[in-house]
Amino acid sequence: MDLISSILSITFLTQVFRMMTPYYFGANGANFSERGGVINISIEGFMNLSAFSFAMFGIISGNIFFSLLIAITINLIFSILFSWFTVKLKINQIIAGVGFNLFIAGLTKFLLMLIFGSSSNTHRFEGISDIDIFKKIPIIGGIVSDPLTLFCILLVFVSNFILYKTRFGLRLRSAGENPEAADTLGVRVRQYKFYGIMLSGILSALGGIWLASNQNSYSEGMIAGRGYIALAAMIIGKWKPVNIFFACLMFSAFEALEITLQISGTNIPTQLIQMLPYLITILVLIGFIGKTRPPAADGEAY
Amino acid sequence: MKAIEFNEITKSFGDFYANSGITFSINKNDVHCILGENGAGKTTLMNILYGIHKPDSGKLLINGSEVHFNSPLDAISHKIGMVHQHFMLIEDFSVLENVILGNEISEFDVIDFKKSREIINALIKKYRLNLNIECKISDLNISQQQKVEILKLLYRNSDILIFDEPTSVLSPVEIHEFFKIVDEFKSEGKTVIFITHKLKEVMEISDKVTVLSRGKVTFEKRTKDEGLDLSELSRAITGKEETHSDPENIKNDTEGEVVLTMKDICLFKDKLPKLKDFEIRLSRGEIYGVCGVEGNGQNEIADLIMGFENNYSGELIRLTKKVSIIPEDRNKKGMIKEYSIGENFVLKFKRNRYVSDNQVRKISEDVSQNFDVRLSSVDSDLDSLSGGNQQKVIFARELTADNDIIILMHPTRGVDINASGFIHKKILEERNKMKAILLISSDLDELIKLSDRLGVIYNGKIVKEFDKSELNRNYAEGQFSEKNPKNKFDIYEKIGMYMIGLADEE
Repeated sequence: MDLISSILSITFLTQVFRMMTPYYFGANGANFSERGGVINISIEGFMNLSAFSFAMFGIISGNIFFSLLIAITINLIFSILFSWFTVKLKINQIIAGVGFNLFIAGLTKFLLMLIFGSSSNTHRFEGISDIDIFKKIPIIGGIVSDPLTLFCILLVFVSNFILYKTRFGLRLRSAGENPEAADTLGVRVRQYKFYGIMLSGILSALGGIWLASNQNSYSEGMIAGRGYIALAAMIIGKWKPVNIFFACLMFSAFEALEITLQISGTNIPTQLIQMLPYLITILVLIGFIGKTRPPAADGEAY
Repeated sequence: MKAIEFNEITKSFGDFYANSGITFSINKNDVHCILGENGAGKTTLMNILYGIHKPDSGKLLINGSEVHFNSPLDAISHKIGMVHQHFMLIEDFSVLENVILGNEISEFDVIDFKKSREIINALIKKYRLNLNIECKISDLNISQQQKVEILKLLYRNSDILIFDEPTSVLSPVEIHEFFKIVDEFKSEGKTVIFITHKLKEVMEISDKVTVLSRGKVTFEKRTKDEGLDLSELSRAITGKEETHSDPENIKNDTEGEVVLTMKDICLFKDKLPKLKDFEIRLSRGEIYGVCGVEGNGQNEIADLIMGFENNYSGELIRLTKKVSIIPEDRNKKGMIKEYSIGENFVLKFKRNRYVSDNQVRKISEDVSQNFDVRLSSVDSDLDSLSGGNQQKVIFARELTADNDIIILMHPTRGVDINASGFIHKKILEERNKMKAILLISSDLDELIKLSDRLGVIYNGKIVKEFDKSELNRNYAEGQFSEKNPKNKFDIYEKIGMYMIGLADEE
């Protein structure tokens, strides 16, 4: 009974929404890239990179706002590099993505050792604080008060509007669906692919920043496959911002459940519980595969 | 007044000259037909005009002034619009989204959907296109998709309209509708360029004709003003004196065994009925023609016989497993275009076994000789062949398999008259080898010429069957001639009425 009441609590709901944040930033970012026809599996690496640079510049400068901007900028540079490889040079997108992931994992490990003299984590720093005004709003304020989480929820509507109501969204989607047709109508296909990838870089940066800020430090391997789960959420959400949001909520609910189970001290081995989100990912993908339809020209070079 | 002038246009791809020194002009407000065999350079020339390709040398003049197009955007800004042979539509987008893409009405990047809808609906009304702009393209049939393409041009206010083989996918009724739209364009002072293989259409609609052959202009004449006639035109295209004389269609009298029976077949797809109470009997040594407007269940018949579709009710008896098919979409279903001819043949081998490169080349060579497929090298992949030659390769592969049932879907779609004459001859040969042939087509000429029996399919049901004597009589009477051009339309009109469900059911 203890377990059930703790799941039904406000604290649990708060957990779910907070933990949804990195997933949604990652998944929504990846979606902008894939809507333009570029599969971006380096979301994992992008999140890792921004978590590290946010922590590093936060500790060095002591100014969170400054380190936030720097972390986003660094991700932007990397995503431009990624689009240069995949769109301009037409390197296989999966291989480029794996390359970025491995390179960034190595780079952060190296810099961690070099700058902080540790192979596991940085020193602690003060993360982004909650917005006090929001806390005063009854019910909602209790659940959502993290500025990045709030932005995430806002992003659901903004992304939906951008994709379906703006010229930019229409052209971006056309690049991912049928670049040849878009080209004959004078749409500059490659340019839109570039924009899509850049958006994925910026948004996944926010995901990494949230993780580092929430933990008040950077530690090695802290992304723990969230970038990949974000991609799964994007597929389950059928490449639609609103659906992706619910898919992310599902994943974060399982993550919160895992923590609740751990705290409640059940007899279930913790390792088994930690497997849960990944197991669910696989099961859900098996259930959904074939029923979802990616952008028609997703993954093809143009 | 000249709308377009081509001046010594030359374009090569590697060693191959698609256009070599093409010079001719297109008058303003003319319907100008461009004809020629597959691979004669028509599409290349149109792609140059639309800014997709850049010519190696030569000048292009629009309305009297020289232009240099770097991309379709430049052509669009000169009010040139093109409907490609393979439609350039985004399947997952609505009609509305497809039409506005690239020319969106927007303020601060936010699309004004209300205004767009008004403009497009007004165009649909004016040209009686009868489209629902909220529909997704994937839910439309080919004729409707073509109308979306036309709508795209109208929305962009194009003055020069290029149509690359617009009628090859349409049924006679739809072609008639299409011509009415073309007439409307003409009355508005627009210039229409029309690429086609169908000579009768040329006679019906064109003001002027230009024939291309191997990248050069070989014939030019005004249709009505200079009194062009059909035989002169077909001579100009084939270069032969007596042209594509219809192969003799003599059926041996022996009654063949019935190899395929379909009875009371009902088939649902996505909860929509595709076939209902469908009945057909196919025997050895006969050609059964199925004609109908695209999307009335033709594809489903083929899927059933091939065994792709198993969720049906009713009776399907197939006495043989040896079935060949020429699919309706050769690009998607008929071949792997990155493979050579030989490799495409090996795919169909019954058993896995070692095949040497030389054997593969040998197959390519044989096909190239026996089926008159022009190759630059035995190793070249199918992608480098013209549509007509690709079709011949698929045709060759399916015939050499020596199967009992042969399903032919639109066997001569987008194929020039020489090649289609050749294919027709082969079909009759196969029939005389006692093969059971199911011919699904939307080309009435072809169907009437070849079929021993002809079934008209409408809404998933054979609504009328014509037998040989009926067709023969009508075909003989209906032979197109200068003396009685009207005559042929009797049988055509009759079949046409059944195709659109207007004839009384008996």
